[in-house]
Amino acid sequence: MAVTKKTKLSREEELLLQDFSRNVSTKSSALFYGNALIVSAIPIWLFWRIHQMDLWQSAILFVVFSLVSTYLVAYAYKNVKFVLKHYIAQKREEGITKEMMSKLSEDKEMTKKEKDERVLWKKNEVADYEATTFSIFYNNALYLVLLIVFSFYILKNFNPSVNYVLSVGSSAGLLALFSTSSK
Amino acid sequence: MKLIVAAVILTLASISAGQEDPEARLLVSKNVLNNYLVEGKDLTVEYKIFNVGGGAALDVHLKDSSFPTADFEVVHGNLEVMWERISPGANMTHAAILRPTKFGYFNFTSAEVVYYGKEDKKEQKFGYSSAPGEGGIVNRKDFDRRFSPHVLDWLVFAVMTLPSLGIPCLLWYSSSRRFTSHVKKQN
Amino acid sequence: MAATTSKMLTILVLAVLTVFTSADVCLGPVVKSETYTTSETTVSTETVFISQFTLTCKNGLQNINLFADVAGRMIPAVRTTVTNQYQITITDEYKALRSGNYESRFYDEEGFSALKKARRNNEDVSTITPLFTINISHGGVWQGTYIQSEFVAACVAILVWWLAFSTKSKLTP
Repeated sequence: MAVTKKTKLSREEELLLQDFSRNVSTKSSALFYGNALIVSAIPIWLFWRIHQMDLWQSAILFVVFSLVSTYLVAYAYKNVKFVLKHYIAQKREEGITKEMMSKLSEDKEMTKKEKDERVLWKKNEVADYEATTFSIFYNNALYLVLLIVFSFYILKNFNPSVNYVLSVGSSAGLLALFSTSSK
Repeated sequence: MKLIVAAVILTLASISAGQEDPEARLLVSKNVLNNYLVEGKDLTVEYKIFNVGGGAALDVHLKDSSFPTADFEVVHGNLEVMWERISPGANMTHAAILRPTKFGYFNFTSAEVVYYGKEDKKEQKFGYSSAPGEGGIVNRKDFDRRFSPHVLDWLVFAVMTLPSLGIPCLLWYSSSRRFTSHVKKQN
Repeated sequence: MAATTSKMLTILVLAVLTVFTSADVCLGPVVKSETYTTSETTVSTETVFISQFTLTCKNGLQNINLFADVAGRMIPAVRTTVTNQYQITITDEYKALRSGNYESRFYDEEGFSALKKARRNNEDVSTITPLFTINISHGGVWQGTYIQSEFVAACVAILVWWLAFSTKSKLTP
């Protein structure tokens, strides 16, 4: 009840802004970069153990390309998350509304507007959460497929260093490219 | 004088050509069948004997003493064997499995064959097989590194990728189920 | 009383039979064998079967000539430097010698010529009983799994991605 009409509107605006902008909060940005770094570092294991690259001799190459890949993968996470968030919000609308309404129905003092605001907020939260987790899952899976296909099939007979640079570069690059082209 | 010599040679030639008694002639090939020669792994040596002569070869002894016991151990088969009889036109196959105990280059030389070319068993004939030549025996460790299926490495890879796929997938799934199942319940 | 007479008779008959046949027939053959088959492509470009055995005859027959009928081929068994030790060898393409059990039937010279004659005249060969048989069990040739493990990895990765992709398609109309 303490919330004034003015702040309510601005909050709604803020939610809308958040909903439609590609900017992500620092927290989810850290989550994206952290995940991207982990998945980008995994190829090092394959190239060290299976393609027999020397871990110390190729250290610079590994670090540089893991960082490049991290940037590209995080970029793909953001794009896919942005696209998915809208669809997920639409899909979950009914479910969230029903759950929220049954929860808030006991609170007789709350106005209709306030309840709508809570639903909207909840919807944004759920959609954001689901879009983030799904985007990470989807992009990680695609990245690993591309990596295995590139390094063990397409670039199989190349020198391991060239194979590493090209497969990590192309996998991350293609991931970023696909994330912009998909609706 | 020259004419006489020529006549003698001709007569000799006609005598040998007109020989009624057919004689066996054996050709022996020796081959190492391995795709890779690896220290401590099976080495497959195959011998093939062809009788290209007109008669049967008798008491055919094949002996391969080209594998020093310091470098090889015989695992299966024998390096010294005997056939009672090899008919003209027939071919025989023999093989032995050895194991190189050392790595490095090894010159594979020929085996020996001793047999009687005629039924009277008077004159023993002696021959050599073909020689496979020099071959490099690979160090067992290097071979395993290159050709092992890396099952353990792939399993570790699977374990490494599992959290980055499993955690986001489970988080998403639990959230999506919470709201979709809710709708179904209401319906 | 009757039993002992019949027993004695049997012994007598057996003894007479032995005298008649001991010259060329191996009686009561006891075989100790050891077989080898190629197990992986790295060690041989062809499948090799080796069967080594020692034959002991009750009537003390030594170093007789033996012939084998195995995997559709008739080959002589080679003798080794050890008395009564023999070896047979078969080599062929991987495809021609698939995994499975190969029964090698061994014959002496007489049995072998009877077998050859029966084959020539398209007669029933089941009546010609072999002296003994040795089973060669071939477990197949391992082609190596270097390609397979990365293939498995690729398949699993594609499966996971495909699940993700189909879910994503359901979310985005």
